[in-house]
Amino acid sequence: MSISALLDKYGSLYLQAMLTTWRLTVISFAGAMLIGLIVTVIRVCPIRPLRHLGDFYVQIFRNIPGAAMLILLVYALPYLKLNFPYETCVLIATVMIPSAFCSEHLMSGMNTISPGQIEAARALGFTFFQMILRIVIPQALRSAVLPLTNLLVATMLTTSLASQVPLRPRDLTGIVSYINTRDVGGVAAFAISAALYCFTGLALGRLGGWIDRKVRILR
Amino acid sequence: MTDNNVPVIDVRHADKHFGKLHVLRDISLSVNRGEVVVIIGPSGSGKSTLCRTINRLETIDSGEILIEGVPIPPEGKKLAAMRSRIGMVFQSFNLFAHMTILENVVAAPRSVLRRNKKEAREEALRLLERVGVADQKDKVPAQLSGGQQQRAAIARALAMRPKAMLFDEPTSALDPEMIGEVLTVMTELAADGMTMLIVTHEMNFARRVADRIVFMDEGAIVEENTPKEFFECPRSRRARDFLSSLRDR
Repeated sequence: MSISALLDKYGSLYLQAMLTTWRLTVISFAGAMLIGLIVTVIRVCPIRPLRHLGDFYVQIFRNIPGAAMLILLVYALPYLKLNFPYETCVLIATVMIPSAFCSEHLMSGMNTISPGQIEAARALGFTFFQMILRIVIPQALRSAVLPLTNLLVATMLTTSLASQVPLRPRDLTGIVSYINTRDVGGVAAFAISAALYCFTGLALGRLGGWIDRKVRILR
Repeated sequence: MTDNNVPVIDVRHADKHFGKLHVLRDISLSVNRGEVVVIIGPSGSGKSTLCRTINRLETIDSGEILIEGVPIPPEGKKLAAMRSRIGMVFQSFNLFAHMTILENVVAAPRSVLRRNKKEAREEALRLLERVGVADQKDKVPAQLSGGQQQRAAIARALAMRPKAMLFDEPTSALDPEMIGEVLTVMTELAADGMTMLIVTHEMNFARRVADRIVFMDEGAIVEENTPKEFFECPRSRRARDFLSSLRDR
């Protein structure tokens, strides 16, 4: 089938699939940012065992393949009497793995803060959490906009894991298998999804660049 | 706590090592209310380290440090509270890079002292006015000259209404033409009765402003003297050598 024929027949499904991918991406990235922030604070806190725990978390989830993790969540957890819906399993994987990368980006963002500013904050009487909230996190975030934009795009691509489980409605990758099992969509069916991924990724890249210019810290 | 007989800063027999290096040797030093004490000495003599131990940015191995008669608490909320009452000005200004000058001055009173937003802002503006950088209030630190940044940093410390101020070589990172503006602000502070401990290489300033000069060398206090006597006829040989080495330049 040609691209236009595919779009005629499956256009609304593609649209729905794109919206599903967007939704998974937004939830995953929001979760990854939240957990990434918490893990990062743990990794710099004054309590050494907690710091090690934070490092351990990052090493685990940075080094586990998404598909392997999804298989564990879907097939192994039921043995522990944990039966999560498919979407939850996908989201756990697409939150945890990017959260480890998020933490690494925030750590390198923190490294842009001069040690003198930390000393100044301590000398002014900031407690650890006041310093983290007012001085450290804002600067780490503002210095890490471009890598975090990268992570957002990567997270979107990672949500294609959803195609490996019977998730409804289907995501942009899942929809291709659906069409190709019913019609002879071939490469064209892939190309449409690829174009939609590409379009989203480019738009996110532009958005990230714009935010970076707005919040970049003069040094 | 307003007992005028208790020194604001009281260091007793402080010792500190950095590995094998003995950076502070049995240091005892007190600063009374309203007093301006200037520490001078060759680089590596331990004067900056001493200054930094007073709000526990550096710890000491033995001895004790009392603020208004109370020993410095160990790490934690009490230490933070104590630090909030002692102002510190650094060689490299250390303003918060992501905040405007005004936000820099307002941040600690708001977060640490939980002061009302409007009042904190008004006081910050008064202080910025006083140090002469009020017109820069909406810029970020990187847009200011070193002298302006340092004056803003002094305003930031003053916003906590400190009982004493520590100055750790406040003009050493400045271009020569900007040193004067910072020293002027410090001279005014001293005249207003602020308790100050100053580490500096500015000898003329030290002579003019200090109530007492403390000369350090190799981690020890070698001489404590009035500025007049110290600069005209120092008692110790090492102080004489140090002063003559400055004149030779």
